[in-house]
This record gives sequence, structure tokens and C-alpha cells, in this order.
Amino acid sequence: MEATTLIPIGMGLIVIGAGIGISRFAAAAAESIARQPEAAADITNAINLPLFLLEGVAIIAEALTFATIFFKNT
Amino acid sequence: MAKEKSLSVLDNVGDYILHHISNSSLDKDLILELPTVFGINLSVTKHVLMIWLTSLIVALIVIIPTRIFLKSKNEVPTGISNGIEAIVSFIKDSIVKPNIGSKWSDTWSPLILTYFFFILVANGIGLIPIFDFIGASSRFLFGINYGENSFANKLLHGGATATGNFWVTSALSTITFVSIIIAGTRAHGFINHWKNLVPKGLAWPVYIILIPIEIIGMFVKPFALTMRLAANMAGGHIAILAILSFIAIFAEVFQTSVAGFGIAFFAVPLVSAITGLEIIVTLVQAYVFTLLSAVFIGMAINVHH
Repeated sequence: MEATTLIPIGMGLIVIGAGIGISRFAAAAAESIARQPEAAADITNAINLPLFLLEGVAIIAEALTFATIFFKNT
Repeated sequence: MAKEKSLSVLDNVGDYILHHISNSSLDKDLILELPTVFGINLSVTKHVLMIWLTSLIVALIVIIPTRIFLKSKNEVPTGISNGIEAIVSFIKDSIVKPNIGSKWSDTWSPLILTYFFFILVANGIGLIPIFDFIGASSRFLFGINYGENSFANKLLHGGATATGNFWVTSALSTITFVSIIIAGTRAHGFINHWKNLVPKGLAWPVYIILIPIEIIGMFVKPFALTMRLAANMAGGHIAILAILSFIAIFAEVFQTSVAGFGIAFFAVPLVSAITGLEIIVTLVQAYVFTLLSAVFIGMAINVHH
């Protein structure tokens, strides 16, 4: 199996990582809002930032993987 | 040895998609040739044209209604300035004040508001294919034939997402990088800003590891800002174009146009759904860039480890 066949597998692993991470965020948020409904706005604001940071990491990794495909010959 | 120019769709589709996303290169597709000043080629490319258009739209939407409202001596703004006031107060109350603090919030809110409006409009007009629509309708509906090198032809190839280019977003991130240093310097003094990078009162071996990590983090945070915005915008367009190119690929692989129609029956609604998702992504990415810039500036001003 040469190196170029591992690139799509890498992209799939990135998606798995982002999926697991963001689903843990959503589950924790839903559970804590269920415990204390009046803190819903605070919890949403607290989750905003780490959620977007994690999504940014996943998107950056995907973009760099694209770059290795498209700029392989240069 | 020059490569044979292949006519097959499968060989060329990657190049077509990349060509659509990326900026016009310096030897062709330029919209306006301008001279080279101090080693920087000032010619107008696709993305430069879109940046100008964005600046024009933001200036028209924000400056003119605000002037009209200020002259009219009403108590409450109406019309477009009402919408502008809603957005401005939302950003000041939920992004700038909680992160930067009330003392410096008037200093830094013009910058944060500029980020939000510029990125929102730049993402938005990249999503509307107005240039392609005008070009296609004038060429196929009205039958006007532009010359190959005419100005109108070059202008009509001009629609693109300016923030999908990582050089554009890295310009915005450089402004954030410099603003962080300026904010810390104004709040605490030049030497104290650098001293505030690491918390005080730790044992000295910890500092040997912590200082390089903090310095690297100082550069990685704006880099992540650039790549997040650029990759989100460019990736959305690449996904839409790749799914639409399935139509041509299927038609070529099966050598009949019925296969193309069949796959178009699934591809076009899927692309419409992805475009709807892209609208959400443009709003969210403008909000995230603004929020993270405010958070980083706030971390330099309110130091609490």
C-alpha cells in the first residue's frame, strides 16, 4: 500500500475525531441544561468557544490534507 | 516534454475546480494591468476586485444610513440604521464587553465591528454567483459574444470568495496579531505585556518550558484564525463544485447524457442543501473570527491566570 492511498484514510480519521469530540460537547451541554434550565444561556456561551476551536482544528487538518493531494507534484 | 492536453473530463476536473477557487495568476486572467511598484505587482486580480466590492458595500450600508440618522434628530433609528444598530449592539454587548472589559471596550469595538461586517459581506457575496449568472445569461440567452481578451469578459470571470484566499485572511490575522501586542502595551506597558505572557510565582524550571510554548502559541493563534476562515470558505465551494462535476463525470464514464441527467436529479438538490449549510457557515465563521479576536485581545488586557 503506497503512501497516496493513506491520504483518504487520514481524512476519514479526522472526521471521526471531530465527530467524537463535538458529540461529547453536545451531550455535556444537553445534560447540564437539563439539570439547570435557567443557566441555558450561560452554558451556551461557555460552549461556543471550545466548540469552534475544535471545529477549526478539524477544518485546518482537512485543508492541509487537500493541500498534500493537490500540490503533490510541485 | 509537454504533456498532451487531454480532452477527458476526469483528467481536467481537478484543475477546473482549483482554477475556479484560486486567484487569477499574474500572467493571465488579470482584470486590470497595473505597474509594479517597489517590487509589488499592483494589478487587479479576481480577489482584489471582490475586496473592493466588499469595501464599497460595507461603506454604503454603514456610513450613509448612519449619517442620515444623525442628521434627522430622531430618537430611534429607523430603516437600515435600525438593523445596523441591532448588529452593533449585539456585538458590543455579547462579544466586546464580556471579553475586553468596559474600560477598553470603546477603544477596540471599531476594530471588532469592522472585522464582523467585512467578513460577513465578503463571505456573503462569494456565495451569490452573480458574475457567473450575468456571464452565462448574456452569453447563452442574449447571445452577446465578448472578445477573448476584452475587459467585460475578464470582469465577468471575476466572481470569487475573497476570504477563501488564505492571503486575505492572513492580512486580517496580522492585524489581530499586532492589535494583541498594542492592547497589552497600552494596558500594562511594553515590558509588562511580555512579562504577562507567563504566570508569576512558578518554580524556575517550569519557565524554561513555558516561555517557548507561550511564544509559539502567540504565533499559532493568528495562524489558526487564518486557516479556519480560509479553509471553511474554500472548502464549501470545493464541495459544491465537486458534486456538480459528478454530472459531467458520469456522462463521460457511461458515454451517454442520460446518465448525466440521472445523477443531476440527485446532485442538484444535494448542492442546494449544501448551499443552505454554507449560508449558516458564513454567518458562523464571521462570528467566530470576531469572537476569537476579541477573546485574544481581552486575554492581553485582563491578565488572570
